[in-house]
Amino acid sequence: MTDSPLLSAPWRAGEPTRCVGWCAGSASGVATPGVVTPGVTTLGEFQQRIGAWQACLDTIAGPGQHWSLHERAPLEFAAALIALWERGDSALLPADDRPETLAATDRLTRARLGDVADGHRPVSSGHAPRWGQLAPQRLALALYTSGSSGEPQRLEKRFAQLDAELATHRARWPLDGRLVISQVSHQHIYGLLFAVLRPLCEGAPLADTTCRYPETLHAWLAALATENTDAVLISAPPPLERLPESIDWPAVRARLAYVHSSGAPLPAAASARARRLLDAPVLEIYGSSETGGIAWRDQHRGEAWTPLPGIEVRADTENQLWLRSPFIDTRDWQRQADRIEPSGNGFRLLGRSDRIAKVGGKRVSLTAMDRALAADPRVREVHTVALPQHATRLGAVVRLDESELPRDRAARRTLIASLRERLLAGYEPTVIPRYWRFVGHWPSNAQGKLTAALIARLFGDIDDRRQPRWLGVMEAGEGRCAIDLEIPERLIFLDGHFPGQPVVPGVVLVHWACQLAREQFALDAPFQGLERVKFPLLLLPGERARLTLAQEDATGGRQRLSFSVDGARGRHASGRILFAATAVAEEKGDERYG
Amino acid sequence: MIIDTLELEDVTPDDIAPDEPLFVEGLGLDSIDALELGLALQKRYGIQLEADSEDTRRHFANLRSLAALVEERRVK
Repeated sequence: MTDSPLLSAPWRAGEPTRCVGWCAGSASGVATPGVVTPGVTTLGEFQQRIGAWQACLDTIAGPGQHWSLHERAPLEFAAALIALWERGDSALLPADDRPETLAATDRLTRARLGDVADGHRPVSSGHAPRWGQLAPQRLALALYTSGSSGEPQRLEKRFAQLDAELATHRARWPLDGRLVISQVSHQHIYGLLFAVLRPLCEGAPLADTTCRYPETLHAWLAALATENTDAVLISAPPPLERLPESIDWPAVRARLAYVHSSGAPLPAAASARARRLLDAPVLEIYGSSETGGIAWRDQHRGEAWTPLPGIEVRADTENQLWLRSPFIDTRDWQRQADRIEPSGNGFRLLGRSDRIAKVGGKRVSLTAMDRALAADPRVREVHTVALPQHATRLGAVVRLDESELPRDRAARRTLIASLRERLLAGYEPTVIPRYWRFVGHWPSNAQGKLTAALIARLFGDIDDRRQPRWLGVMEAGEGRCAIDLEIPERLIFLDGHFPGQPVVPGVVLVHWACQLAREQFALDAPFQGLERVKFPLLLLPGERARLTLAQEDATGGRQRLSFSVDGARGRHASGRILFAATAVAEEKGDERYG
Repeated sequence: MIIDTLELEDVTPDDIAPDEPLFVEGLGLDSIDALELGLALQKRYGIQLEADSEDTRRHFANLRSLAALVEERRVK
């Protein structure tokens, strides 16, 4: 093999019957629940798919375009990406499919491609592909940073950069024909390299859809047990931290060779647990969208990170990380935001450099504030943020053990008072966080990061008085999820309902259930009705409750969603919401409640 | 108005006793809150306050004194 995995375009030639894509089939709707029937996509079929995409693009514009590409299925994404590369185009990968994210890419691209609103997709099933010219300095694609340190930044990657990185990974961890199963988004650099480009370049098959849930992973590994194929899992902290013990992993894990994790450091306990349950090494990659991969570690062997081959790392007198990497444009040393400490042949990560905010004209280190709060024995994890739209007051996201979470207004006030008391020893009152969000699970996106968007969500009820205080999704599975909520005292629906004893109107709970279900399950069918709705116990301002949502099988042309709202005192609401089976025109926000 | 202007959490009108100090002890408001409240009084009731006078401090002492200020000086 050459050192230019992409430039040698391995998808052009080879045995047409070679397996490129692996399809686990569908785990639901088959005779035996949990059993899947695999299928394959051959190189010949994959090339036809590339041709189909090219035919689709040809109807829109001639070569030399920049396209916005979002496609959830890894194999289809790969076909689209190669199609446009071979045509002489480049891609911009939106980080997600939210309307505002896509609108931002529209200004920079010719058109949207893929599974998004107004996205072009091929209508023909197959077409002969055309091969073009790939060059090292040509722009391959642009993508966005995760936005954990502010607004997402757009970054461009040339073929030579991607190739340098792909060749390094291949030399370190060759796939050797193993099936690649991905639990992460390839709209981001890590998923793009590890879950899509590496198997494509190394002639290894990739699972044609993303493996979102542990139950799915179990079914796929079980299906592999009967085939002569080993697998590699491309994962991230969120799915690995939530691997259930209750699943019979020993029965299926023999085919799993190793696991990659990236996006954020995996807690040591989660690494050990994933290793124990899956009986496979957990190899973490440390890097960023800007720099590409920097180092790796297997916590089973130690906490320290080892730089990837070709990467030079050093720490300055302030422990700041400096980096020289073949994966970035410049060959100069680059200063990074993380702090490190040399350890053996590698380094230990000390975390981000100080984050500084200005509150009421005073500079305050948020990093130091985090440390002061973390000194409280109840605080498991904490992140303070400045909220510019609220007089730059500080907000604090605090993770507590489930048993320590405040359940009502009095408990919340007592808890906040004690945390304030602790901070008053070292801080002026103005800089002490005014807004507190107590969570049981650390809120993070699919890459394991507490992003600016999630922070906006956690504090969103301050601005929008119709919203509950959103405290994170506690569990999510196929068609079910649990979301923690708190009732803000300033909730608009409490006005006049009732004077002297405000309570949350039942219809508001149903509306929230509906709204959050639409968001969680991407439901766009119109609301049709309610069944067996009960409100056994009043829900009061300041109380915390968990909303559980579960999609039931669609019957009689309708989708059913069961919901319940449970708090410390008992059940506040339960029932079922009916949606029409098919989406009609989207409902706009003219629904009224009161 | 105080709660809404300052976007206070965990505080309801019942929590603010008429004679309890608004600042430092009592409700625990601070200097940034004072500026925000001053701005709100101006916007909502057309009341102009002198930036840092003894009077202002007296008006902001508690809810009762603040209410008296609004009654006396409101132009809206």
